[in-house]
Order: sequence, then C-alpha cells, then structure tokens
Amino acid sequence: MDDGPVTSPADAADSLYAAHKKIYPRESHGVFSRLRNAAVLALLGLFYLLPWVHWSGRQAVLFDLPARKFYIFGLVFWPQDFFFLSWLLIIAALSLFFFTALAGRLWCGYACPQTVWTEAFVWMERLTEGNRAQQIRLDRGPWTANKIARKTAKQALWLSFSAWTGFTFVGYFTAIETLGHELIALSPGPWELFWCVFYGFATYGNAGYLREQVCKYMCPYARFQSAMFDRDTLIISYDPARGEPRGARPRGADYHARGLGDCVDCMMCVQVCPTGIDIRQGLQYECIACAACIDACDSVMDRMSYPRGLIRYATQGSMEGKTAHIVRPRMIVYGGLLAALVIGFFVAVFLRNPVDIDVLRDRNALYRVLDDERIENVYTVRLMNKDERDHSFRLSASGLPGLTLDTEREPVLVAAGTALAVAVRLRAPEHTPAGSSMVRIRATAVDDERLSAVSKGRFIAPGEEKEDEHHD
Amino acid sequence: MTEPGSFARKPSPDATFPEKDGTQKEWPRRRQDIGAVLWPSFLAAAGASVLCFAFVDPLIFDFAPESARPLVARMTGYAVGFFFFWLIAACSSFVTLYLVRTAHAADSGDGN
Repeated sequence: MDDGPVTSPADAADSLYAAHKKIYPRESHGVFSRLRNAAVLALLGLFYLLPWVHWSGRQAVLFDLPARKFYIFGLVFWPQDFFFLSWLLIIAALSLFFFTALAGRLWCGYACPQTVWTEAFVWMERLTEGNRAQQIRLDRGPWTANKIARKTAKQALWLSFSAWTGFTFVGYFTAIETLGHELIALSPGPWELFWCVFYGFATYGNAGYLREQVCKYMCPYARFQSAMFDRDTLIISYDPARGEPRGARPRGADYHARGLGDCVDCMMCVQVCPTGIDIRQGLQYECIACAACIDACDSVMDRMSYPRGLIRYATQGSMEGKTAHIVRPRMIVYGGLLAALVIGFFVAVFLRNPVDIDVLRDRNALYRVLDDERIENVYTVRLMNKDERDHSFRLSASGLPGLTLDTEREPVLVAAGTALAVAVRLRAPEHTPAGSSMVRIRATAVDDERLSAVSKGRFIAPGEEKEDEHHD
Repeated sequence: MTEPGSFARKPSPDATFPEKDGTQKEWPRRRQDIGAVLWPSFLAAAGASVLCFAFVDPLIFDFAPESARPLVARMTGYAVGFFFFWLIAACSSFVTLYLVRTAHAADSGDGN
C-alpha cells in the first residue's frame, strides 16, 4: 500500500493550475458507488436525450428564448407565467434545506452538475489512462509514444464530449434538430455557436481540470450548507471509538491484544476521495458526501472479516451514543411545506387558465367622436392561447351602458401555443359620463364557453372633467 | 467529531504549504480570489438574467438591425444582458473582497 494521496504537479500545459496538486481518485465499488453511477447515468441520460423527444409535432422540452415561450410537453409557458418559475425556485430551495438537514450534501454527491460531469470525465480518463496507479505512473513518466497516444485519446474524448454537451445545452433553447442541421451545414447562428462553445468550454474546464476545486474554492453552497446541519443530520462519519488506535496488522492477528482498533490504516478511504481529504479527521468542508470512502472501507472490512460500517452514514448524536432522531420537528416542517408546495404547484399548473388576454389602449388618440355622435376608443387586444388545440374567440365588452365592440374579423382564430393581436374599437353612446371609466373586454372560445379570459381597460369620453383625460 | 457547523479546519485557507516536490496543496490566494469573484457573480448574473428577461423583452434595446429581428436581436439582448449582469456582479464581488482583504491591514497597520 502506498502512503496516502499521491499527487503530482499538474502538467505544465495547464499552467493556471501548475501549483495545484492533481488528485487521482481511486475507483471504488459498492452500494454507494452503484447509487452514484445510477444517478449520474440517469441525469446525463435525461440531459442528453430530452431535447430529442417529440411531443405533438414539436420538441417536447424547448425553452424558446427567441420566441419567449417555454414548451414543456403539453404545456406552454409565457413570460406572464413567471409566477410558476418562481414557485419552482422556491421548491428547489426548500428541497435543498430538506435534503441537507436529512443527510448533508446529497446534492453535491449525487446530483450537482459539477459532480455528474466530473464523474463522466473521470470515467473517460480511466478509459484512456488506466486506473489510479497507471495514471500516476503515466504522469510521472517521460513523454513516450504510449503517453502521447493515451493523452491524445483522452483529450479527443473530452473535447468531443464537451462539444456535444455544449450543443445539447443550446438545443434546449433553439430547436435541436434545426441547430444540428445548421451546424452540419457550417452555418449556425452567431449566438448559437457562441453559447455552444461557451458551455462546452465551461464543461471541459470544470469537469476536466477544476473538478473538486470548484467545490472547495468557488461554491457558495459548500460553505453555508453547514448552517443547515444539526446533531441528527446523517453525515459520513468515521467511528473513532471503534477504529482508533489505527495501525497495520497481519491478517487474523488478535489486534485487540496489541491495543489496536479496527482501522487498518490502509488509506483506501483517502485514495478514493475525489477531494483528497482524510475522513478520519472528522467532517471537513471539502467533503462532497459522495460516500466513496464508505464503499472503500466496507470492502476492506469484508476482507479483514471485520464488521462493516467503520465509516458510515451516521448522525452526530448516534456517534456520541445517543439515539438518532431522523424524523424530527425540523424534518416534518420542511417535508410538510415541501409536499404542500409540490402538490400546489401541480394543481396550479393543471388548473391554469389556458387563455390569456391583454388590453392596451391605442396611444395615438384618446377618443374619437363618430358622425352619429357616438364615442369611439381604440385598443389593441392580445389573445394568448396556451392550449394544445387551436381556438376561435369571440370578444365582448361590458362596463358602460350601450357599449358595443367592433373588430375586423370575428371570431378570432388563435393557433395552439400562439398569441395574436387584434385591433378593437369600443363605441359608447353620446351621453356617456365624461372622463375615464373602467370597461372589461372578454374573450370566449367559440368551441368551449368555459374557456374565457377577461381584462380591464379604460374608456375615455369627452367632457368637463379634463383632469381624468390623461388616464391611460 | 467536531461540532456541526464548525468543521475541522485545514490550516488557514490563506496558507500555502510547499510540499516535498515543491507544489502547493492549496490554491494560491490570487487564484482563490479570481474564483471567489467570478463564480458567485456568474451565478448571480444567471439569476438576474432570468428575473430581468422574464419581465423585459430585450427587443426594446435595439441591439441589432431591424432585418435581424426578432431572432438574433433577442439573443443579442439576452447575451449582452447576461454579460452586463456578470460584469456588475463581479465588480461588486471584487470590491467586497478587496474591503475584506484589506480590513485587517488597515486596522493593524502591519500591511497584512
């Protein structure tokens, strides 16, 4: 066994990191590694495949920024639906509280893009440069043909994966198939190309080189997550009472007689750690809770025929010999709030009115008096159909006696997921009260009377009360 | 075990310890500063862009010629907006960092 985290100066090529010691995490096998691999595969699979899924003739998930519309399967969201986005952000923040209080940095270890892409890059590194020991030898050795070939292969894999990642990312914002055709024809839009390169480069740098340094030096969550811990939070802990004093011993020896604890000081927990820490020194802010050390230690315990769990998920209370309270008021409050918000979100999305109407007064004229002495106001009415089907709408107005509505073409056909602006004239009788009055314009779908939306506007009539006229 | 919230500390994060092979375990301070200025401001800029452009259609900024509308013009608006927010947030982070870094020196006059 070698002596701890073997590190070497990073390549001179990436001089920005010349002073930082590269960490060569050893591969770990076990329950948590399988869990992490499953999470990585699921999340990467979701990320790379989702833009290719179709839903009723268009990309299922498309955040169409140029058109300012978000498509998520059957739903279309407009800037007016920002409310739902903020609701989602609140759910995300509360989930972070909940899961951090439950078991520490679950986010960091399993779901953070930094971890997920780093795992993918480390996997490609192992594929081309071999396991930990082989990587260390390769980096220390001279530039042989073998080394050049392996490094070139790694860079080729990394770069093409990063490029694909950048392409996929932009594919969430511009229809991915169109984007693909444009790229093949070497004529992508300037911003599409820029963001492909930007995101691809960020992936390459963050997952290829920065890795755990992002967590250590740059991530705000890594620093403040400790504020969400309490004594009943499950954290990855080394059991010093059982392990110490640590030390090497022949297999099968009566180590208790020699005054030794269960820790054989094999350093496996240190070698597998992607952030290069020694968990036996207690929880440290560098720990991203990936649980690789648990797997490593359990496999050593198995080989020594010692019970597992020298390093395990445990609460601080249980380490001190008290009962662990996983279900506690804090978890119930967080969990209850979270459940209510999530259910509320889906109910709100489900009950969302698929029709929206905006009424804008014509800015050029306050009013016009017609030949028959009636008073006319002009508006632009914007109809939004967020439904999956086309609908035709009839418009009606209320709020003043004798008010009539006139528009060029009725009913107004608005295609599914689109908006349409129509000019609308409201006409009121001669003796309408002077000044500004509130009127309502309602749009009702011809095929389904329950589909309707209403919006308020101002109707301005001539008269004495001039001070009201500047009202819009 | 340590108290929750008070992790076993590595020696001061400022310290850079030369190892046997002449390398350092910690990032040098200059690089820590760059990371601490650029990354949080990047996150803030991403958040600010989402908030801002949910309410503001970037077409009002007239970044691109009429012929390019609305596709390129909107995307130029988003990009300019994002980098503008990043710049502003980075400036703020930098000043904060500068104040924190120089506070001790100003107190004790030992030039830190």
